Amino acid sequence: MIGYVDGTSPLHRAHPYTTLALSGALLFGAFALTRPLEVGLLVLTAVLFAATGRVLRSSAQTALLLSLPIWILLFVLHGLLGAEPRMAFGPVALSVPGIARALVLGGRVTAIVLGFLTALATVSPHRLVEAMTADGVPFGRTFLLASTLTVLPRMRERATQILEAQQCRGLRLGGSIVARLRALGPLALPLVLGALAEVDEQVLALDARGAAGSARRTALDPPPDSRAQHALRWALLALVAAAYAWKFWRMRG
Amino acid sequence: MTALVVLERVTFTYAGAVRPALADVSLEIAAGDVMAVTGESGAGTSTLLLVATGFAPRVVGGTLAGTRRIAARRCGVVFARPWTQLTGLCSTVRDEVAFGPASLGLPRAAVLAAARNAMETLHIEQLAGREPSHLSGGELQRVVVAAALAMRPDVLALDDPAAELDPEAADALYDVLPVVAAAGTGVLLATPDSERAGRVATRAVALASGRIVAEGSPAEVLTDTEVARIARAAGCPPPYPWDVPSLLRRVER
Repeated sequence: MIGYVDGTSPLHRAHPYTTLALSGALLFGAFALTRPLEVGLLVLTAVLFAATGRVLRSSAQTALLLSLPIWILLFVLHGLLGAEPRMAFGPVALSVPGIARALVLGGRVTAIVLGFLTALATVSPHRLVEAMTADGVPFGRTFLLASTLTVLPRMRERATQILEAQQCRGLRLGGSIVARLRALGPLALPLVLGALAEVDEQVLALDARGAAGSARRTALDPPPDSRAQHALRWALLALVAAAYAWKFWRMRG
Repeated sequence: MTALVVLERVTFTYAGAVRPALADVSLEIAAGDVMAVTGESGAGTSTLLLVATGFAPRVVGGTLAGTRRIAARRCGVVFARPWTQLTGLCSTVRDEVAFGPASLGLPRAAVLAAARNAMETLHIEQLAGREPSHLSGGELQRVVVAAALAMRPDVLALDDPAAELDPEAADALYDVLPVVAAAGTGVLLATPDSERAGRVATRAVALASGRIVAEGSPAEVLTDTEVARIARAAGCPPPYPWDVPSLLRRVER
């Protein structure tokens, strides 16, 4: 499941900037942490983040599905081609530092993906737009960010409609991999061409409704913010900065 | 009456097109006008709407020759496919309708009042709290018309606005147009529905291959009505009566 899921969890109720800041901290924090144990803690934090948003099951499933090929690739690459010493795993001898490296990289990817999916599932695009509008962010930038959050669910909905229509016309989805790949054409082409054709009208409609105007938009229902959340966002920024400082200090040492 | 849009020998060609979509078109739209535009598919009716409202070539590209004067401060446009005209950023119909006035930077109370008035005009107050993407095509069509009206446009261009509506809702929508025009808006209505257009239009133009082939009162131009078709089939000489009263007058003569 990718996209916003209606809910009442603390992450849903939090100011959108706070949820995005938590997700951002996971993203930037991932690159500051270099040891398996540290990355393990990062993954645990990402799991707690998803659990707080009450989207753990769906987000974790998708995150695992998305990161599984990367995990396999990392283990094969670093395990087989990594430096000495090696440890025997059945018929193959895998590199111990290589496995550690694969764990770090795979953990980072999983934490980042899980954090991103959790943010997608818990940040309402509408509340985000309202928050950004209240802050006077130009509509172009707001639209760009909010569209990014909504593009996947919209494309999925559209793909389902096209798939159903094509199946009504006799498209068969089962069979061999080649047959399945062949079935992708009748799905992908109308999906892309339809989206491009509709973009023209949407641009016109947005323009006609003053989206390109220079006036500062009025926020109708900006989400409530609090001093505590404000402080939390700054604390997250400081935490990420400290993690990078620690990383560079260790590198110098 | 004040001329809101004046086109003098205007020719418009889309980027990359060999032939112009509009050729040598001259017309004037004044406050209070409801001008019906008819023509077969590909005749240039939609392009005329875009040119008259200033969206072509500014937004859609292409080249314009001839003289165009647009005195209207704001132009609204509504297309036949309502789902392409949603912002995709609003979680309720109220917010969708209020999007335009909010873009103008009006105070919150004024934005909400404009949205409320527009929804009342289209009789969709009961949809205010609904999610726009969950509406039927007909409901959505009325929402996008309300969204355009909420901007209080000087010129409102509608491209087949009843395409998604049932006959009753289509009648109701067409009945709104003279009310909108009476408030000082110039309405430009492209439609294949000569019956309903004839009922509400004050003037009409017919296009063929991008050129105006007939211009005048609805009775003179909108000859593709049921009554006209029956009169033609019955061997009645032109000009054909376009509605029942004009048929009766002909019979009495």
